[in-house]
Amino acid sequence: MNLVEFKNVSRIYKTGDHELKALDNVNLTLKKGKFVVILGPSGAGKSTLLNMLGGLDSPTSGKIFINQKDISTLSNNELADYRAKTVGFVFQFYNLIPTLTVHENVSLVKDIAPYALSATKMIEEVGLIDHLKNFPAELSGGEQQRVSIARALAKNPEILLCDEPTGALDSKTGVLVLKLLLKMAKSYNKTIVIVTHNQNIAKMADVVVKVKNGKIISNEDQQNPALVDDIDW
Amino acid sequence: MMFKKLIRTMGLYKAQFISMIIMISLGIGMFVGFNMEWKSIEINTEKFFSDTGFADYRIINQNGYSAESLNKIKNLKNVTDAGRYISVNAEVKEKSGDSLALTVTENKKISSFLVTSGEKYNEKSENGIWISDKYANANNIKIGDALTLNYKNTEFKCIVKGLAKSGEHLICVRDESQLMPDYNTYGFAYISPAFYKKTIGFEYYPQINVISDLSKKDFTKEAQKALNNTDLVLSKNETVSYSQANGEATEGKTMGTILPTLFLLIAVLTMATTMHRLVAKEKTQIGTLKALGFKNRRILVHYSSYAFSIGLLGTAFGIALGYGVAYLIMNPNGMMGTYLDMPEWKLYMPWFCFIILPVIIAALTLIGFLSVKTMLKGTAADALRPYTPKKMKPMLIEKTKFFHKLSFGTRWNLRDIMRHKSRTAMSLIGILGCTVIMLGSLGMRDTMNAFLDMYYNQALKYESRIYLSEEATNEDIENLTKKYNGDWSGSVSCQIEDKTYSLDIYNVKHNLVLFPDNSTNMTKLTDNGAYVCNRIFNDYNLKIGDTFKISPYGTNKTYTLKVAEVIRSVSENIVITKGYADSIKVDYTPDSIYTTVKKDNIKSDNAIKNIQSKQKIIDSFKTFTDLMDTMIYLLVFGAIILGVVVLYNLGVISYTERYREMATLKVVGFRDKKIANLLTGQNMWVTLIGVILGIPLGCLLLQYLLTSLAGEYEMKLVLNAHSFIITALLTFGVSLLVSLMVSRKNKKIDMVEALKFAE
Repeated sequence: MNLVEFKNVSRIYKTGDHELKALDNVNLTLKKGKFVVILGPSGAGKSTLLNMLGGLDSPTSGKIFINQKDISTLSNNELADYRAKTVGFVFQFYNLIPTLTVHENVSLVKDIAPYALSATKMIEEVGLIDHLKNFPAELSGGEQQRVSIARALAKNPEILLCDEPTGALDSKTGVLVLKLLLKMAKSYNKTIVIVTHNQNIAKMADVVVKVKNGKIISNEDQQNPALVDDIDW
Repeated sequence: MMFKKLIRTMGLYKAQFISMIIMISLGIGMFVGFNMEWKSIEINTEKFFSDTGFADYRIINQNGYSAESLNKIKNLKNVTDAGRYISVNAEVKEKSGDSLALTVTENKKISSFLVTSGEKYNEKSENGIWISDKYANANNIKIGDALTLNYKNTEFKCIVKGLAKSGEHLICVRDESQLMPDYNTYGFAYISPAFYKKTIGFEYYPQINVISDLSKKDFTKEAQKALNNTDLVLSKNETVSYSQANGEATEGKTMGTILPTLFLLIAVLTMATTMHRLVAKEKTQIGTLKALGFKNRRILVHYSSYAFSIGLLGTAFGIALGYGVAYLIMNPNGMMGTYLDMPEWKLYMPWFCFIILPVIIAALTLIGFLSVKTMLKGTAADALRPYTPKKMKPMLIEKTKFFHKLSFGTRWNLRDIMRHKSRTAMSLIGILGCTVIMLGSLGMRDTMNAFLDMYYNQALKYESRIYLSEEATNEDIENLTKKYNGDWSGSVSCQIEDKTYSLDIYNVKHNLVLFPDNSTNMTKLTDNGAYVCNRIFNDYNLKIGDTFKISPYGTNKTYTLKVAEVIRSVSENIVITKGYADSIKVDYTPDSIYTTVKKDNIKSDNAIKNIQSKQKIIDSFKTFTDLMDTMIYLLVFGAIILGVVVLYNLGVISYTERYREMATLKVVGFRDKKIANLLTGQNMWVTLIGVILGIPLGCLLLQYLLTSLAGEYEMKLVLNAHSFIITALLTFGVSLLVSLMVSRKNKKIDMVEALKFAE
């Protein structure tokens, strides 16, 4: 069964008289439990695709089905519930709440996600059990991204959406974060979608979707994805 | 190009720009308005007094003064001019119950009047009367109408020759027990000395009015020496018109100092917070300008001119608002017009406003200047880095178990409060200001109403007050008192040091006149001493049991009185019982009888000069309470605007600062309403603290106002439960309204945009 299905999805941004087609009649299906990488240069439309998938934005035309449910027509509140239950986000710039501690940043999802996992356990799994009471500003970039992963997974979502998760990190830390993402996704059996312009990350994926000028130019399964350690970063 | 940027920056931060202008306008409007009010009263009344020859001194002797006595006074050194004068309350035959202060001045340069329409004043007219234009208008009396005035059974048959305004009757009231003029039933009228003499057949003037720049002490000494008598001398400060008009100006000065200062202080503080935030948001742009090669000076001028524009526009609107506020109070048909009767109502601004207003603009510009200066420190690269708020450190409270039991929202808000202390402090000050002004205003109303209620409903239990004529014999008085089951009183003007007070002797058998003490109880008068009003008690540092000396005018005698109790009074007086008066042997004649019989049921009698019903006085102070209510509503409205503007401005700043956090919460899956509740929750907590702190501060402000006005009123602070409730409800209402206004913006949060960039 398809987890994700995009049917003729377009997204047009209007500024004054200008129209920008960020997505142009996109059709895409993704299966459950896969590690998907959406690859493309800046401005290709890959983040727009991810935002549609995450319920942060709605299509100008076309339909998006998640578990066969159309999310393109949901109201604001229904979209908020969808984000709370179905997807977890990991951003390039972590987006932690600076006034909350590590533990609080992760456990805040308990208020909204019905099947939330233990925040402490998640933090322990990302290796930050000693930093429970620290504020984000007291952590390194890599550590902050690990908190962000813990927060995304604590909601126990079906899909983990990552927008350039290693974009703000040095390559060594980036590798560690990727390893962690893969490990966590495997052990919790999550579908993971990463948006990046980094070709190396694509080598690890089960599915690589290439995007250019708002269109999908290829959607290929990789039979033998590379291991993180085998890739020359 | 930089000018274009300036205009666009204003557009970009229009909420802050407009709210700061409103704040400054409000502060300056209140400041200018209240200060213009008292200054305009001062100048207009001063001019009116001078135009109508308001007398500096009045020498009074009921036996009357001869032309010879007048000359003795005129010949005194430092006396510019003098004239004989009489003013008595005469009944208007055509209008039952009405009376006019029938006035004759021998010297038309002293204690005279201005003709507003009709014939010029003619000293030789033998039937002409010039009456108060306000009384004439209220009673539909026209020039040329015939009017008959009756004073002590003497009828003055007059023809209205003209309408007039008089300085001596600026505040036209029957006596001190009447708070407000009531032109429907009372006014003044002038007739010529010739008409007066022709009607009564001789010259009788119990008063000489004098223009002199001598001090009261010197003048009294000189006058008494010249006349060889200790006649009563009253300075203009002891007349209702002069002292009450001055009192209004003093009241205006007090109000003009405290409230506008509060408004202005909040405005300046809000400006400082907002400018700092605004410049912080512009930091990268400042860095870009610097990197492009713009000199610091140009950047400073650019942002300072933003602050300057706010100051200039705020001041301009503020002055306009000030004129509006001043006009609302000070216009012939407005609030003060029901109290003061004068021809000119020009508005004047005190000189210091011309200095303070530019200083305020300069201070606001300086705030802008200093905010940018901190952002310009270091290299262009430093300036290019976005502004980073202080790092979050754990608070003390976090070490407690209690803290961890709090909900996520509470913890989030508590930390936000700690992280943005100045913003929170400003919100708190805004709420405090709102609470304090509201409670102070409503409390002023409660206090005044309680005082009036206590005085006129609980202390004065009679229905009618019968004024006895000078001819009334002891037998007449006894008979009338018996007939109407009345209590009686008499008054003696006397001096303590060089000031004049009234010594009131009461014979209270039926409890128709009672005297409130400093709590709300009624003092039972005893024969053991004198009951002294608060003002005299405080002015002479008296204590209960102390003795003090008084000397009645027209005698060379001095009496020593013992203070039995302090009472609250509308006039400055000393009350003693008949028994105590007899024991110290003071001479007096009863002049009033108080009775529960209605005015209409009291038969006319030669011993009765006039009858006043209490209801008439109560009706007249309705105008006074209406006037006060308008002031109170104006202030409460001002407080609400202040609250809304400060909180909205800070709310928008807070919203901008927490935009990214809210976007994150939205992405995670929080609904808009839940986020709005979190923000509203924080405001409600700050409001609660503000109200809790504001209530005692409001009481303190009220106490301060009452102390400042103690020279005029002897009131006890009263705050009704509903004033507390209204204050709290309105303040919470304001806070809730603003929270809703700000949190409506949540829906517009662009999650994608907000989370794209590094913090």
